[in-house]
Amino acid sequence: MDRPHPLPDRTVKILQWAMAGGFILFVGAIVTWIIHLIRTAWWLRDVPSASIGISLVAIPVFLVLLGVVLYVFWGLLTDRSER
Amino acid sequence: MADPADTRDAILLAPIERTGRGFYWAVAILSLGVLWGAVAYAVQLDGGLGVTGLHQPVSWGFYVTNFVFFIGISHAGTLISAILRLSRAEWRRPITRMAEVITVMVLFIGAGQILVDLGRPDRVMNVIRHGRYQSPLLWDATSISAYLTASLVYLWLPMIPDIAILRDRLGKRKFFYTVLALGWQGTERQHKVLNRAIAVMAVLVIPIAVSVHTVVSFVFSMTLQPMWHSTIFGPYFVVGAIFSGIAALIVAMLIFRKAYGLQGYLRPIHFRYLGQLLLVMALLWFYFTFTEYLTGYYGGEVEEMKVFWGKFWGPFSLFFWGMVLANFVIPLFCLVRLERRTIGKVLTASLSVIVGMWLERFIIVVPTLSYPRLPFPEGIYWPTWVEWGETAASFALFALFYLLFTKVFPIISIWEIQEGREVGLKEVEERLLTYLPDTVEPEFTPVDRGG
Amino acid sequence: MALWGMVIDLDRCTGCQACVMACKAENNVPAVGPKEASRERIISWMQVLTEEDKEHPDGKLRFLPRPCLHCDDPPCTKVCPVYATYRDPEGIVAQIYARCIGCRFCMAACPYNAKYFNWHTYQKEGPGQNPDVSVRQKGIVEKCTFCHHRLQKARERALAEHREIEPGEYVPACAEACPARAIVFGDLSDPSSEVSKLARSPRAFRLQEELGTKPKVIYLTEGEARG
Repeated sequence: MDRPHPLPDRTVKILQWAMAGGFILFVGAIVTWIIHLIRTAWWLRDVPSASIGISLVAIPVFLVLLGVVLYVFWGLLTDRSER
Repeated sequence: MADPADTRDAILLAPIERTGRGFYWAVAILSLGVLWGAVAYAVQLDGGLGVTGLHQPVSWGFYVTNFVFFIGISHAGTLISAILRLSRAEWRRPITRMAEVITVMVLFIGAGQILVDLGRPDRVMNVIRHGRYQSPLLWDATSISAYLTASLVYLWLPMIPDIAILRDRLGKRKFFYTVLALGWQGTERQHKVLNRAIAVMAVLVIPIAVSVHTVVSFVFSMTLQPMWHSTIFGPYFVVGAIFSGIAALIVAMLIFRKAYGLQGYLRPIHFRYLGQLLLVMALLWFYFTFTEYLTGYYGGEVEEMKVFWGKFWGPFSLFFWGMVLANFVIPLFCLVRLERRTIGKVLTASLSVIVGMWLERFIIVVPTLSYPRLPFPEGIYWPTWVEWGETAASFALFALFYLLFTKVFPIISIWEIQEGREVGLKEVEERLLTYLPDTVEPEFTPVDRGG
Repeated sequence: MALWGMVIDLDRCTGCQACVMACKAENNVPAVGPKEASRERIISWMQVLTEEDKEHPDGKLRFLPRPCLHCDDPPCTKVCPVYATYRDPEGIVAQIYARCIGCRFCMAACPYNAKYFNWHTYQKEGPGQNPDVSVRQKGIVEKCTFCHHRLQKARERALAEHREIEPGEYVPACAEACPARAIVFGDLSDPSSEVSKLARSPRAFRLQEELGTKPKVIYLTEGEARG
């Protein structure tokens, strides 16, 4: 595939992987936050069951989202085959 | 696929390539609305929530109504597009993108309402630091952030091939498009990866969307208050959300059809199908409303009845019956027969539903608070210019975001339209044949079985 | 551990509002002014509600002094997103002003409308205020605390003198001010305390008992005088 204006490929690649990294950080932050809430609820004896119950659903959902996004990044960016 | 010779869908790129005077006018007018909201917010920050019409029994008003309303609209997108994709409805192709954009944009507006509603917006980080999961507000926060993330991903993934088209064909913003296109070349492997990811997202996004408006309803139904404490609130809110979402989608489609000359893509048949969907939701909405109010009325519990009569004949009757008119009567009349003047009828019904669903949210939030259980004076709530300003600004900001989006990305999925032409047609024919009983055996001549 | 509660004898209440005024003075409850009052934004932790007497329609009013009822199972603390309102171990439903984000969910959830919001900055710190009670800023929720600061003082005094808090040592301002002695305050966990005895009276009832909120403010019906 020839492109009319070749771009600084390295910068593009770095930015793209940085996006993937940013998403990992984002999901990581959310999971950490949810765990922090469980911990607070535990210390204060403030209905920890509610936090644990919700986290059982919420954390896997975010992890699946992360999985899908990483799969796309990996699948598209590492593709070396020609059209 | 990024064949420069293919100019059939050039009109879809036109709004990104060129900008007419209409765009600047639209931006200017919408910015005025946003400015009104910004001034109102500044006044509210300075003076406190006292500048609104809220008071002692009615401590929630327009802002919470807007929150529920906008989060409801967000169900247009992702949910409808996911359902249409999964059910392989071929007529979805020009619609899905528009729907997904609504979701993402409106979720920001909806979540923003909470910030506007807080007495101490400077302490909003307390929700992160000291949040507690027993409060339904935290359920909302979690569910909405999951939905926002999922719908952003679900907007972006099916856009990747289009971004690649923009990268290859458009002169401007090349770097931006190149990064976002993730090196898309349309290879077989890339197609496989993308289609698989889209399919997973379409499945994942449906339960997330349902959870969002369910937990929004839980903010009300988890309390003990009359006409809030109801078990059907979850599904009732979800139905209302999809209902208003479809209406918003239809209006957005009609506006951009007119503005960008997309009559070739968004044809009357699309509006007919969406109109029928809207009709089904109108009936479903009426069913839920009827059930909800009849159980309250039949039980006749004193506190429930105070609120009930307040809505039926009391100070809120205008809103209540307006809601019934706008959400049920008008759509019913408009949508039963759609053969002729489809567009006009569908547009009338959709505008009516948007007004009606806003009234529905209002009629759920305010009357319950207006009738305290103890012998307090009953509170009548009337908003001030500040709340009107925030409401106008919310609508304006949403429209502005949407408009700006169409200037950067194609509002109709180009590659999916092409795929429809190239692959969809044949696939549908093959699929249709598999539905039918043994009509096509290659060496088998169909026998006329008679009558 | 104590379980603080209150009994209000409606037979004795004359509707004089002394409790309301004592509460306002004690807790730095702001006067919002006539304009705000006409917009229904009066803050009154203790409020005397009036109701027309349906049995005696000749212009008689019934009075119902209503502080925060300090429910044992409070609907307001459940919904608070940031732990700004909670039930403390001695049963007092507390409010952390520095934590509150002003979402007003607790106000919407309270079946007794006992919570109040600071719609504007109603007052600043100044002379004449009770130094034991913090002055609330705009944008947050406040409510009756059973004069919690008095409990803290009594507890410290008792601690310094190496003894338990004596009955009657900790009394909220409203109970102290009531000229008809309609408000009795004390430890509900102590069966011999006066509140406990009164709470067992056949005249005792709780507001909206059917909601299961288990209020710790118990009312005695009008009965003795009317028959």
